[in-house]
Amino acid sequence: MSIFTDPKLGLIPGPFHKKLEEQNRAQNWYDWAGYSAPGVLDSVEFEYFALRNQASLFDISPMHKYRLTGPNTTAMLNRLMTRDVRKIGVGRVGYAIWCDEEGMVIDDGTLFHLGDNDWRLCCQEQMLTWLLDAAWGFDVSVVDETHCVAGLSLQGPTSYAVLEAAGLDVSKLKPFDLSQIHHDLMISRTGFTGDLGYELWCDWDKAEALWDRLWTGGAHQGLRAIGYEAVNLARIEAGFLTAGVDFQPVHATERLHRGQTPFELGLGRLVDFNKGHFNGRRELLSKRETPRSLLMRFDVEGFKPSEGSLIYNRRRKEVGHITSGIWSPTAKRNIALAHVRMPDASRSSGLKAEIYTLQEGKWDTRMARLTPVNKAFFAPPRARATPPART
Amino acid sequence: MSQFDAIVIGGGVNGLIAGTLLGRRGKNVCIIEKSTRFGGMASYSVDGGPTLAHSLYNLSPRALSDIGIDPQHPVLSGKPVSTVSLSEDGRHIVFKNDGVYWSDGTKHPESSAWSDLTQRLITYGSLLRQLAEAPAPGGQKTVLSRGGLNEFLRLAKLGIGLKKLGKSEMRRFLQVVLSNVHDIILDDLPEGPVAGLLAADAIWGSATGPRSPGTVFNLIYRLGHGGIITQPAGGMSALTDLMVEAAQKAGCVLMPKTEASRILLDNDTVSGVETTDGRTITAPIVLSNLAPKITSQMTGPSVFDIETIRRVRNIRACGTAAKVNLRLKDNSPLPGLPEQLANERLIFAPSVEYVEAAFNPAKYRQMSKAPVIEAFKVQTADGASWLSTIVQYAPSDLEGGWTESAKEKLAQTTVETLSRSLPGLGDHISGKQVITQDQIESATGAPGGHWHHAEMALDQLLTLRPANGMARYSMGPKGLFQCGAATHPGGDVMGLAGRNAALAALEAQP
Repeated sequence: MSIFTDPKLGLIPGPFHKKLEEQNRAQNWYDWAGYSAPGVLDSVEFEYFALRNQASLFDISPMHKYRLTGPNTTAMLNRLMTRDVRKIGVGRVGYAIWCDEEGMVIDDGTLFHLGDNDWRLCCQEQMLTWLLDAAWGFDVSVVDETHCVAGLSLQGPTSYAVLEAAGLDVSKLKPFDLSQIHHDLMISRTGFTGDLGYELWCDWDKAEALWDRLWTGGAHQGLRAIGYEAVNLARIEAGFLTAGVDFQPVHATERLHRGQTPFELGLGRLVDFNKGHFNGRRELLSKRETPRSLLMRFDVEGFKPSEGSLIYNRRRKEVGHITSGIWSPTAKRNIALAHVRMPDASRSSGLKAEIYTLQEGKWDTRMARLTPVNKAFFAPPRARATPPART
Repeated sequence: MSQFDAIVIGGGVNGLIAGTLLGRRGKNVCIIEKSTRFGGMASYSVDGGPTLAHSLYNLSPRALSDIGIDPQHPVLSGKPVSTVSLSEDGRHIVFKNDGVYWSDGTKHPESSAWSDLTQRLITYGSLLRQLAEAPAPGGQKTVLSRGGLNEFLRLAKLGIGLKKLGKSEMRRFLQVVLSNVHDIILDDLPEGPVAGLLAADAIWGSATGPRSPGTVFNLIYRLGHGGIITQPAGGMSALTDLMVEAAQKAGCVLMPKTEASRILLDNDTVSGVETTDGRTITAPIVLSNLAPKITSQMTGPSVFDIETIRRVRNIRACGTAAKVNLRLKDNSPLPGLPEQLANERLIFAPSVEYVEAAFNPAKYRQMSKAPVIEAFKVQTADGASWLSTIVQYAPSDLEGGWTESAKEKLAQTTVETLSRSLPGLGDHISGKQVITQDQIESATGAPGGHWHHAEMALDQLLTLRPANGMARYSMGPKGLFQCGAATHPGGDVMGLAGRNAALAALEAQP
């Protein structure tokens, strides 16, 4: 969903804008929730390989952040989220999705359990009015922190070493742990790349100081500021979904039946029917066994990126489309995320993507065989090692 | 093992009918009521004064026969009453079933125009009644089920009924049904008291004026059972006593002075009710005659979807009709009113414009300075004579609240307004009793003191009543049903909401 911003206002500079501007040779800014965010700062290849081989810094401040506090917060969140949030301990972060009354996914995000009945929700879509509706009848206060909490994503195999060099000790943090380093800096071992990495959260006005601190520390660790394009390659390799690309946040859809259930998105593990009522539970119970389509991971024949391609079955009937498709530089495979309608999704043999190619003024199509893949395309063990390696 | 098969919360008319119907179908039912007497709004009164409702015009014979009460029962057949439109010059107008007359008995020149229009609306009402006597359409998942087939046939019958009206009449129906009553009345009648009466009958109890869209529907709704107004013999409490008797005959356990505090749930299924005095009554079905918002508070919001709660809290219910009871010194005739009209239904609504102007202050949280009034002269059990009046508009959200001085002002306005046609009325009055919406709300739970628990407006009717997704009486967890006036088809002392809800509960859990 694009968020309405005043066209007269133009794109707003984020908390790291000055720092990003200094490094932005490509001048490739795009609109992320009204903020000017870098698509590429230098070149996507440099940035991607910095992410996978060294360390990368990506500004995630435009993400929407909501602080939920008050005696009923856990109960309120448990009614909102499909998973049992009581299982996310204090000091832990949980990936969660939430649905509308028809069981269609509204958005996904990360829940930071900061303290007893003190949570932060971080997500892609604007969610304030929905959270206020969800909080009605509960003793919960909802505060939109989007514009006062800055976020930096430090990802890559040397990211731990960067933090160490910057004087920040996170050796004890396991994946999905969070730590309040001091009162205005929180670090969580989370990310959107499937690699070793951390997300750093601080006050908006402390952002530049944090940037400088990391940069001084990271000078010898190959640290590089990156834009969204490199992050996107990494997240597809990790098999992560992007709202509006790999699934349609149902509140942002205008056409009927464009929403998807968690089961259709392969997120059934995040639905806990035994925890009591949650939004959409009754509908999801009846929709659990009857997905209309499935979100699948594919190995695509050949090397041409398949994004946007239609998928055909053996009888040449169109049965789906590729939502995200890239040549994976690390996996050395042509990979894709795709929606495939039932029943072809469950058979999933003999599927082909029709990839359009443009070569020096000549359009062509090629039919590329699709081989289903169950796991992430790239999931290095370093992402989970504790304490993490320094290089 | 549960104590009961079903619990009905709230022993108003709909609650009694729902419970009795279930009892007659072999269910072991308990009806709980927080006050000492059953009957809810219909028979609510203060200090032995006149009851809130004082006449019947919409009581459903179908609901009655379903609970074993003969629609021709002597209490009900009571006394049909005529309506008198009070005039300031003493030339009152009397509306009888066969036409409109001056109070001296001569025919009013607008009689046939009035009869034609009323008759047409009654025809429309009888067509729409089929919709009222069943759950709102659209809830059945497949046509090829018993329920689906019934629903299809019902809609087909409505369609055929419409067709049978003939082309031009059908066109007219479709044209007027969503329209405002001001335009429709003044198409056929000149502005004046005859038109004014129809305008008044289109707005009772609702936060609308004659120019508001959907008021033609309100008028049709009121005329849905033929438009005949009766007063039950023995008053409204005699009617509710009759219903209590029917409930007992059907084997229902009636528990007065029992207030539900919580609806208990187990694994997304209703398991019973907890009362304010700490008792637990168990049953797998609970029918709540309370407004949806109160029902949802009794379970807690977490058992409902967020959208459901959002809709529930946005249901519009701003009551506009206050009850002003004027105690008369004796049973002597009212001044300025011929003896033979003394016990008829008196209306003060001299024109459509007057009714619309009366509505204006209510939009700004003020009471009307020149209200629309319906009055009945009644005698209470202690033999005292009262003028029982419904005064509109007295909005529930009055600026500054319904303080004693605001109530006094309303009573004053009522007497002054009536005195325009009944000069010297003030000298006959020995006491005043004002029952405002906040009192009605705290006594009966009706939000905003609203007759229908939820405004009868196009956005809150049929499949949207009380709100989208709740039109089939069930709400959230398994076994929880609504049976109050907020559900389809709505309130008035009609009983169809309770009847339909009971049938829906039976269908869900035979």
